[in-house]
Amino acid sequence: AAVVVVFPASDAVHLESDAFLVCMNHALSTEKEEVMGLCIGEVELSRIVHIHSVIILRRSDKRKDRVEISPEQLSAASTEAERLADTTGRPMRVVGWYHSHPHITVWPSHVDVRTQAMYQMLDQCFVGLIFSCFIEDKNTKTGRVLYTCFQSVHAPKGSEYERVEIPIHVVPREAIGKVCLESAVELPRILCQEEQDTYRKIHNLAHLDPVTKIHNGSVFTKNLCSQMSAVSGPLLQWLEDRLEHNKHSILELQQEKERLLQELEAL
Amino acid sequence: MAASISGYTFSSVCYHSANSNSDHEGFLLGDVRQEETVSISDTQISSAELLQVVEIHNHDPCAQLFSFYDYAGKVNEENLNSILKDRRKNVIGWYRFRRNTQQQMSFREQVIHKQLTQLLGVPDLIFLLFSFISTANSSTHALEYVLFRPNRRYNQRITLSIPNLGNTSQQEYKVSSVPNTSVNYAKVIKEHGAEFFDKDGVMKDIRTIYQVYSALQDKVQAVCGEVEQSERVKEKIQEDVNKLKQQIALRKRKTAEEERRLREAQNTDSHSTPEENTEPSESSLLSRIAFHSPSAPQRPSTSPNPPSYADLLSQDDSLLSSSSSPTSAALLPRPQAVGSPGHPTPGPLGMDLGLGLGLGLSLGASSNPVSTPSTPYLGNGDGSSSDSLDRQAAGQEDDEDDDEDDDDEDEDSSEYENLVSETTHLPVVSGSVLAQGRPAALSPDGDARGSQTT
Repeated sequence: AAVVVVFPASDAVHLESDAFLVCMNHALSTEKEEVMGLCIGEVELSRIVHIHSVIILRRSDKRKDRVEISPEQLSAASTEAERLADTTGRPMRVVGWYHSHPHITVWPSHVDVRTQAMYQMLDQCFVGLIFSCFIEDKNTKTGRVLYTCFQSVHAPKGSEYERVEIPIHVVPREAIGKVCLESAVELPRILCQEEQDTYRKIHNLAHLDPVTKIHNGSVFTKNLCSQMSAVSGPLLQWLEDRLEHNKHSILELQQEKERLLQELEAL
Repeated sequence: MAASISGYTFSSVCYHSANSNSDHEGFLLGDVRQEETVSISDTQISSAELLQVVEIHNHDPCAQLFSFYDYAGKVNEENLNSILKDRRKNVIGWYRFRRNTQQQMSFREQVIHKQLTQLLGVPDLIFLLFSFISTANSSTHALEYVLFRPNRRYNQRITLSIPNLGNTSQQEYKVSSVPNTSVNYAKVIKEHGAEFFDKDGVMKDIRTIYQVYSALQDKVQAVCGEVEQSERVKEKIQEDVNKLKQQIALRKRKTAEEERRLREAQNTDSHSTPEENTEPSESSLLSRIAFHSPSAPQRPSTSPNPPSYADLLSQDDSLLSSSSSPTSAALLPRPQAVGSPGHPTPGPLGMDLGLGLGLGLSLGASSNPVSTPSTPYLGNGDGSSSDSLDRQAAGQEDDEDDDEDDDDEDEDSSEYENLVSETTHLPVVSGSVLAQGRPAALSPDGDARGSQTT
């Protein structure tokens, strides 16, 4: 059997803070299952992976630790990357993936490391990010959110893989980019679609009696209500607050601009 | 007592902190109220308990440190009011984000807290402390957060929960009905249950709730478009401001250089021919003009701050560090970018936090262990990724029943599709492409279902 060697080819990851924001939003959206997404950006000659935005993905297999991405999803993400490339005028592509570990340690599992290794076979620079959240130390009432970045290498013995730590820095970006905003508002839509798909399957079952159908309809209603309360609502509030915040900032900046113009004139 | 903060507000604090090159702080807006919880015990006597509920709705970030207090921790009420404006009545607490520090309130923070309690008239003002630590190689970072009630005894800590979707409960769908051969049962539920269904056999509630969701999503999309526009406007003005600052600085430098040169020229002149000074020579005229240009006092575009970490480390970058434009500077991590293990040496740090730091560290034994940045944080501690890690079942999908054949009743499914596509059409928000949303929801099979269903 041929042995495919997996090289980690990335030196560090720079994650723009607005992309970081979307990852956090996504990771904190649910504590009962792992969420995942793809990272869009570019790899510089210096082997630094620069992540400009992320795309939220639907998980087809909701079993725990199944965070594989289908080829179709990768392809659709590439299309998104092209869109971003058009907007920014820079070459963009899918450069990594992220997923969350609610209530679980931040380190990647064996499955995660293997999955990462597979992506690296297609793209050496591909990086993996994990966000661990909903951790609490009951004694000190301290909550924790952690994030880590890794790639995979062949373990010294055997054909297993092991993880390699990759430095990750969040790079400041004062204004939130368009693509990041679009990604953020996708979440409620994705959640609703997942619910619709599930309901559609249930709805197709012919042998359910009316009471069961009513029950299932109510489950759909209940779940959509949960999504609206837990995600759509808070998201809308955050957007409104952000708009308010920006309006204030714009006013202040305009005043500052006026002052500076006057100062420049005087010189 | 229970406290909560939305994931979006929490992320927003992290976002603002990531953008700061020093500590970051702000106010917490929200609501504190008493809630009655009814519990029904086995004895069937319902007992009502009063639970204090703290809800953090929003945060109001401060643009810089020391914006409402000074080195000594004295709070300036005027500044406080100008920062908070009419949001003042909604303040229930404040927060601070620090890097590589202990999870306890510093002395100055305690001093400030007491004054805020009094000035804002909130007896149980809360304090949320975010502490950020990283591994030595910056591959793993941890954000710890503790919510304090400093005005209570022993600086009580409260658990802060982040409400979320929790269990998506898709397992609650029933895939089969409980077997029942009673004819009466079937008859009654069919007859009276009919109320719930429309003529297509679709539950009315489904359509109704979907409309609610759809309207909400439309609104989300619309406001998102507005936010996007405001971000771009803000970015542009910030750029202009930065350019102006650069121009002014350049102009001042040039003027200063000219003055210096002229002064030097004058000095050499005055040594040789003292009389010339009385005559307005060309050079002295120029020098007079040069002196006249008002050396405008270094306008504090920011309030008198102690130097931030960035300034301390690189004085030349004073322009860039105050700029926030995503120029090439954004491509390089600043030393203080989140995740950097580098932090100022004790000297500047002491300067930044004032007297408080030394006192704060010695005050009381902290009960929580402080993780040093050099150790990999949490997990197994040894960096291993093992399957023996305690994992919560993330809710496994029920295996589909065998008798759930591929009864692809196309009529049913197509009816449902119609239902969905009928009720959805996004309003076109003028000038905003965002309103149309993404063309394709990235579903596992990659089809552009998004365009159909949304």
